[in-house]
Amino acid sequence: MSGLSLAALVLVLMFALMALRTPIAIAMFLSGSVGYVMQTGWGPYASFMNSMAFARFASYDLSVIPLFILMGQFATQGGISKALFEFTAAITGGFKGGLAMAAVMASAAFGAICGSSVATAATITGVALPEMQRHGYSGRLATGTLATAGTLGILIPPSVPLVIYAILTEQNIAKLFLAATIPGIIAMLSYMLVIAVYVRVVPGHAPDVRADRPRLSGKLLVGLAPIAVVFVLVFGGIYGGFFSPTEGAAVGAATAFLAALARREMTWQKFKACFYGTATSSAMIFLIFIGADIMNSTLALTQVQTQLVGLIGGWNVAPIWVMVAIVALHIVLGMVTEELSIILLTIPIFFPVVMALDFGMPKESLAIWFGILILMVVSFGLLVPPMGLNVYVVNGMAKGVPLSESFRGVLPFLISDAVRIVLILAFPGIALWLVKFMN
Amino acid sequence: MRVRKTPSNRLKKLSPMLKTLETLSKLSAIAAGVLMTLITVLTCASIIGRETIGKTVPGDFELVGLATGAAIGLFMPLCQLQRSNIIVDFFTARVPARINDKLDRLAAFFLAASFLLLAWRASLGGLNSWQTNSSTMLLGMPEWYAYATMVPGFVLTAVVALHQLAFGFATDAGH
Repeated sequence: MSGLSLAALVLVLMFALMALRTPIAIAMFLSGSVGYVMQTGWGPYASFMNSMAFARFASYDLSVIPLFILMGQFATQGGISKALFEFTAAITGGFKGGLAMAAVMASAAFGAICGSSVATAATITGVALPEMQRHGYSGRLATGTLATAGTLGILIPPSVPLVIYAILTEQNIAKLFLAATIPGIIAMLSYMLVIAVYVRVVPGHAPDVRADRPRLSGKLLVGLAPIAVVFVLVFGGIYGGFFSPTEGAAVGAATAFLAALARREMTWQKFKACFYGTATSSAMIFLIFIGADIMNSTLALTQVQTQLVGLIGGWNVAPIWVMVAIVALHIVLGMVTEELSIILLTIPIFFPVVMALDFGMPKESLAIWFGILILMVVSFGLLVPPMGLNVYVVNGMAKGVPLSESFRGVLPFLISDAVRIVLILAFPGIALWLVKFMN
Repeated sequence: MRVRKTPSNRLKKLSPMLKTLETLSKLSAIAAGVLMTLITVLTCASIIGRETIGKTVPGDFELVGLATGAAIGLFMPLCQLQRSNIIVDFFTARVPARINDKLDRLAAFFLAASFLLLAWRASLGGLNSWQTNSSTMLLGMPEWYAYATMVPGFVLTAVVALHQLAFGFATDAGH
């Protein structure tokens, strides 16, 4: 059997297993294993498996993922979010739709110490949704806003998907975080703009501004201290040259824990909840790592990657259209499966293709730009029906709001997401400028 | 896409077997959490040492690597017990629950088989590394430690999945 048809067979088997409710990671693991054995026989596969778990997982580099997750868990359980939301609500109180804008700003700030979109969405929803409902926000606007704002958890560094991209492609995590910053802030501002326009164009979703709204005060500012301390220590340390991002994740976990302790929010129950949350999120990611690892080794044996690079190199199209096609493919795949698995599966295939394209920029810049585009696509996939994970999470916390309403609420934000993806495709400088500036 | 979680209104009467598995899985998660805490402390100590007296904890990279490997193994059982591994339920959304339950049990079987395979091969890999006296570069720690710490988590995950295959999932065990 030729390499290409074997690769096709393996991929078909994988999608069939996925469709039949086998966990995505296991679908990759099993079909990858079948393809491996078909090419090399049992012996080489068995010896590959002997050392696979050790070689891949007893690794210093991978510790950064559970550490960033643990940091987010401490931040989530530490009661920081309430003070944060009260603060942002006081800032935006004078605008129509102010509470929704406050939720966006709070998510962005929380995203600066949490690398997961689902954790950010759930945390900010916990404090913001009751307030929004009490003040008469519609379920559509409230849940749509919160699901969208949750993606700022990954759009604003630290960002677990970006860390995974960096590990897969051996890029510098610190530079990728820098590159994500401006696009992340643009995302936050454009979400706030969408809210401002939406509440004016479509009446009946947000209340009018109240006279007795909360005002900014010194007391509210004090509530921000823990989040500011964690942020400054982690990013000051990384960009001040004191430590690496992996070490920064450890510092972040330690300071987020201390901040929670200082607020007297940490009980043994919550501490255990942090560990359980870290365990399930990390296990989910690492199991996909295992599956994608086998799958990619199998695809590498079929040499489908090299063929793909040659094939696309043979086309006479401008590099930008290849990039557009890859982004579009990821958006489509992200609609029917889960984005993290998609990245782990496709980045090893498409990264060499992208790196072979000539955009007249250094290879490192190209890798960073592609990483930011992939991050945008992942966050987009978290919101798009039928499988937007963030929408499910937020909707699950909102009693009495139909799922269809939440997906409708997300729609206006998706337009701004699409515009942002096109902007970054057209102007790589949006992502690359800060990296250059900091050098 | 849904991350399925066991609802909080759990059945009051869990079978002794399931109860044991739950306790073990939670203990694994806590052990992994303690390992992550140790990594945190070790890393912070190394940074402080480097920035003040110019010395890091010897072999810190190796210790963190070893602890990460062990933690990854220990993360797995709770994730499977709580059914947090991501599945695609888009194509089977309109399929009767009875059939989906069968599919989920089949998936549990696939998962158990995969983890048993991982545990088996990692054990052999560990034995091999023990016989050849492979050790880490700086501290000279035997590498089979790392294999040995990963296997228990893999085995427990397989047992959890086998229990789900045989007795269904905790949420619908009472029907």
